[in-house]
Amino acid sequence: MRLRKPLHGLLAMLLACLLAACEKPDPLQTTRILAMGTVIDITTWGVSPRDARAAFEDLQTLFQRWHQEWHAWLDSPLSRANQAFAEGREATLTPDLLTMLEHARAAAHASEGLFNPAIGRLIELWGFHADERPDGPPPSQAAIMELLRKQPSVDDIIVDGDRVRSTNPAVALDFGGLKGYAVDRAIDYLRAHGIQNAIVNAGGNLRAIGSKGGQPWRIGIRNPRGPGVLASIELSGDESVATSGDYERFFEWHGVRYHHILDPRSGFPSIGTTAVTVLAPTAELADIAGKPLMIAGPAKWLELAHRLGITQALRVDESGRVEITPALSARLKWEIEPAPPVEVTAAP
Amino acid sequence: MTTADRCLIALSFAALVPLYVQLWGRDTQPQEARVTVDGQEVLRVSLFENHRYDVKGPAGVTVVEVADGRVRCVSSPGPRHLCERAGWLSASGDSAVNLPNRVSIEVLGRDRRFDSVSY
Repeated sequence: MRLRKPLHGLLAMLLACLLAACEKPDPLQTTRILAMGTVIDITTWGVSPRDARAAFEDLQTLFQRWHQEWHAWLDSPLSRANQAFAEGREATLTPDLLTMLEHARAAAHASEGLFNPAIGRLIELWGFHADERPDGPPPSQAAIMELLRKQPSVDDIIVDGDRVRSTNPAVALDFGGLKGYAVDRAIDYLRAHGIQNAIVNAGGNLRAIGSKGGQPWRIGIRNPRGPGVLASIELSGDESVATSGDYERFFEWHGVRYHHILDPRSGFPSIGTTAVTVLAPTAELADIAGKPLMIAGPAKWLELAHRLGITQALRVDESGRVEITPALSARLKWEIEPAPPVEVTAAP
Repeated sequence: MTTADRCLIALSFAALVPLYVQLWGRDTQPQEARVTVDGQEVLRVSLFENHRYDVKGPAGVTVVEVADGRVRCVSSPGPRHLCERAGWLSASGDSAVNLPNRVSIEVLGRDRRFDSVSY
């Protein structure tokens, strides 16, 4: 076709532009990484597919590195420190592990030991350190009592610069907020690379920054008993949500279900609470707070939330009844019909 | 410009209409599923081409089945069979994971009810 008039040239250009526009990228880009024994979902908004892919590849490398550095029982600086604690030797921790230790120590004090990151041996005894624990008998009461008698505590660990040692050989660190810490680091990475609108979700512990082109992120909270989502909440700016539940990791033996959140006082899975959801400024704090709030149970959970600086949380009991703090109640939307029985508590 | 040229231009514009609908229209029904092994995409399949796929991972083979707009994990190595228990996946964002074999199956789509789920 010979284009003899300017109009024809214009027409051809318009056509070319329209065809090029057909390749409209989705403003939402997602990826999934399997690392740290869990599923990590990353979402970005308003980032080109190419830039998102580059960031996802870097994060895949970072999560694998963190997995190797922070692993509590495979060979890592953390597992070597745990081995050194058992043998009364000194070990070196990386700066990240030292930061996690410091945060874990603060949470252990605030929760009066309900959050105890030093009970790695107990978690190992129950088999919850493995990615998937097969069904099988629980450990014997005697083995559990023997570990509890040794009273492993984070206060047994003496820190000198980057060197650590333990005065109690029964101490083994297993950080409850490890996934949350990794989420925070991943968000730091995204921001440093100019990505301001994103969600990083590691095993249900998530942090959302920015928004979807001015629209808030819409986050579901899993229904602890039944399929799908119990409630939803809108996040924008920078907020984290974590849920601890008895459905996450468990095994069954002779009709009894044993879940992975162990009460450091009894050495057995906590009772009375099915799930706790926490909102916090960082994913690490949200992740850390969930477990002791579950263990604290109906009488103590609000008081503990206050001590941990948590104002927005909900607790689901074994009958499906929900207790929710006023600040969270004001912004939560139920997603099941009929809505569960709900009690709005006093502010923590 | 000849009549044939005009016809060609008219046809080109006409052909854009279904492209607009497909690419810019709201996709209410998910069309595709993505299967990854260790974060690397190994399969991207139409949910409307019924087929079984063998996906090799470090622990063995995960069998993925696509049928009538749905996808599921038929069998996968692992002690608890959590991947199989996820059942048929059909809504955007539905997924099944087998950690021992590093396999993840996700239904892709723009019309997701939630951007992320805390669990």
